Amino acid sequence: MSLFSQGQWPTRIPPHNGLRGIETASQLRDGTSRRGFLKASLAGTAFAASMHQLDILQSPALASELKRQQKHVILIWLAGGASQLETWDPKPGRATGGPFAAIQTNVTGVSISELLPKMSQRMHHSAIIRSLNTKNADHGGAAKIMETGRAVDQGIPCPDLGAMIAHELGRADSQVPDYVSMYSSTEGRRQGGSGFLGGRYAPMFLTEQMIPENTSRLESLSELDHSARSDLRSFLANRFREGRPDLSVDSHNSAYQRVRGIMSSANLFNIELEPMDVRARYGPTQFGEQCLIARRLVEAGVPFVKVARAWWDSHGQNFETHLELVTELDHVLATLIDDLEERGLLEHTLIATFGEFGRTPQINSSLGRDHFASAWSASLHGTGIRGGSVYGKTDADGLKVIDGEVNAADLFATIFQAIGIDYRKEYHVGARPVPITDFGGKPIRDILL
Amino acid sequence: MGRITQLKPLSDISTPEINLAITRSVVSLADNQRIMVVGNSAGQLVEFDFSSQNSTSEKAKSEKPTSRPFESGHSSYVTGVGSTKGGIVSVGYDRKMIWWDPLERTVLREIVAHDKWIRRIAVSPDGTTIATVADDMHCKLWNAISGELMFVLDDHQPVTPHHYPSMLYAVAFSASGEQLATGDKVGHIAIWETQTGRKLGELESPGMYTWDPKARRHSIGGIRSLAFSHSGSSIAVGGIGAIGNVDHLDGPARVEIFDWQQAKSLVQLSDTAMKGLVEQLHFSNDDSQLITAGGDNNGFITIYDLATNKIDVQAKAHQHLHGMIVDEASQRLYAAHHGKVSMWELQDQPVA
Repeated sequence: MSLFSQGQWPTRIPPHNGLRGIETASQLRDGTSRRGFLKASLAGTAFAASMHQLDILQSPALASELKRQQKHVILIWLAGGASQLETWDPKPGRATGGPFAAIQTNVTGVSISELLPKMSQRMHHSAIIRSLNTKNADHGGAAKIMETGRAVDQGIPCPDLGAMIAHELGRADSQVPDYVSMYSSTEGRRQGGSGFLGGRYAPMFLTEQMIPENTSRLESLSELDHSARSDLRSFLANRFREGRPDLSVDSHNSAYQRVRGIMSSANLFNIELEPMDVRARYGPTQFGEQCLIARRLVEAGVPFVKVARAWWDSHGQNFETHLELVTELDHVLATLIDDLEERGLLEHTLIATFGEFGRTPQINSSLGRDHFASAWSASLHGTGIRGGSVYGKTDADGLKVIDGEVNAADLFATIFQAIGIDYRKEYHVGARPVPITDFGGKPIRDILL
Repeated sequence: MGRITQLKPLSDISTPEINLAITRSVVSLADNQRIMVVGNSAGQLVEFDFSSQNSTSEKAKSEKPTSRPFESGHSSYVTGVGSTKGGIVSVGYDRKMIWWDPLERTVLREIVAHDKWIRRIAVSPDGTTIATVADDMHCKLWNAISGELMFVLDDHQPVTPHHYPSMLYAVAFSASGEQLATGDKVGHIAIWETQTGRKLGELESPGMYTWDPKARRHSIGGIRSLAFSHSGSSIAVGGIGAIGNVDHLDGPARVEIFDWQQAKSLVQLSDTAMKGLVEQLHFSNDDSQLITAGGDNNGFITIYDLATNKIDVQAKAHQHLHGMIVDEASQRLYAAHHGKVSMWELQDQPVA
């Protein structure tokens, strides 16, 4: 019986002891691969104990591998486009600034919207990017850019951020999903995808229900029968595999293992198993509950979780809408950071907040703001980032970027770097190299540790 | 005091700001002039003089209203202005209430009146009492002359049924000044006795609040305007009806009228031709007509005949209309819009 089927889960994740994936060009150049590295290391704590003997930090490739251990990303997708002026880049006193004031954070010289009072006291865990220019202000096109980090159609289906991170950080022997995506609202709902990385890295996509469907054993099948069938299948599979060192056979077997793992990890999605005081901290909203699920998933070892909070598309009544939604974001994001920190997970987890674009500085006659991709903001929190840092600058009215312009590729490179993934890595689709970061993308080093 | 028969635009002036609130200046009352004070998105009060429109000279009538700003005072949007016995009083999203010298246009007194955004101000008919409502969900009654806080009236929930912050948008005095009504985001209305602060009753107009539980998962709407009939028996509440897409103000301009003493809804008026929020309400002097104003991207002024509950007169206005006052003779209407301040003639046979 697995740990999860007993209704328990570890408070700290054991170090990952197995990685898999396609070999990369950079790894091949180093003459080092993850597989080779892992062969040299032992499982779990034994691996950590052997670090000195391996003198691991002498090898950049191995150091990178170590850095990547235990990393997780939670993407809070602000679907529809949140206003940068009502969040991370306020312009109080300007005609475009709207009615909200700016408040000083706990980092000297950094102010954010007064709608984020809780986050203002957690800036030491946060980095703000105020200079995104992603050029596309159409929901569909912009979402594709911000999901994949690629502004130009590559002519092939490209994986989204979650799939790439699942590929890089996921484990072949994992008992939990590598990529979970929650998007409950129907407006702007997009599943994302794993593109050329293949279905193995597609998200477990949850919409109406937060507990995955079809993961429980059929009622007509007893636990004993189910177990017996599984044992028989394993016996036959192992006998078949003998003398057949074939990847496809291994893949077939690992797929069964993953299904069993996912079936037994269904409890991870059940927040009723959380103590009431923890649930109360996250609050009663669906977004709060989904972020609590995200924490449970990360705690159990899921590398990438996406929580979509829709819908921010405030063409009318922007300030009323942001009063609702930013107040919720402030509370839930602050709670998530605190919870991860208390569990020792924040040092391994990166939280990112962004959507497909920001909102116009100009205020329309419905007191709304429209789509705007020329000068908007994203935030990063947790591992790998320089807490309290702010990158880039918009002009006094927020109409354009005047310093440190970055694009989606730069943001993705920054996320990769923060969690120890080589942003220069290349995948190969047939003979064609496809960089993990879109061409020209570079990490924003000023906000990275 | 005749019946309103038309909505004829007489004069207007464009501004770079969003004009959110309007009152007739104490100065103009003394001098029989048409001087209005407008609160705007720049945190300013600005005096607009429409007096040239009183002239018999056609040349004078064609002149644009003149404007003069008050000294600075607010640091965010000015959402309410009123003329009181203690001077002009303004409130804003900066949580401040400021008393102004109407002649010098300078600050007389300034206090932090609420803990959150102040949404609206109402002044009793005798000009001695001020009511303010804010997102801290309190209604506060103030002595307009001394600035003393008289009562804090609490009946509105701070959180919506869907666990988001609520807002207390609207407040109005009765014609006698003896009652006060307050209205919030989810459509709850409370009626108060101003002398004692006692709650007299409550009403519900849930049709003013749209919560989208599935597609967009946020809300829109709320009671944005209130008015007592001159007889005192009825209360009209204004807002917006059910909206399919809560990203826009694409819903019917909605009014509901109650017999507040019987706690009975009398009529619901809904206009889909000129949509949006009903930001302002005003009963005609004989209670036979109800003036409503507001908008979505565009503005509207709609006058209902309360005998038939049909639209009597209607006009499209420049962009969204936030503030409105009607003079005592129901001759002229003054409006504060997104980017404009305007004056309208309401009767085709104006009283001399």
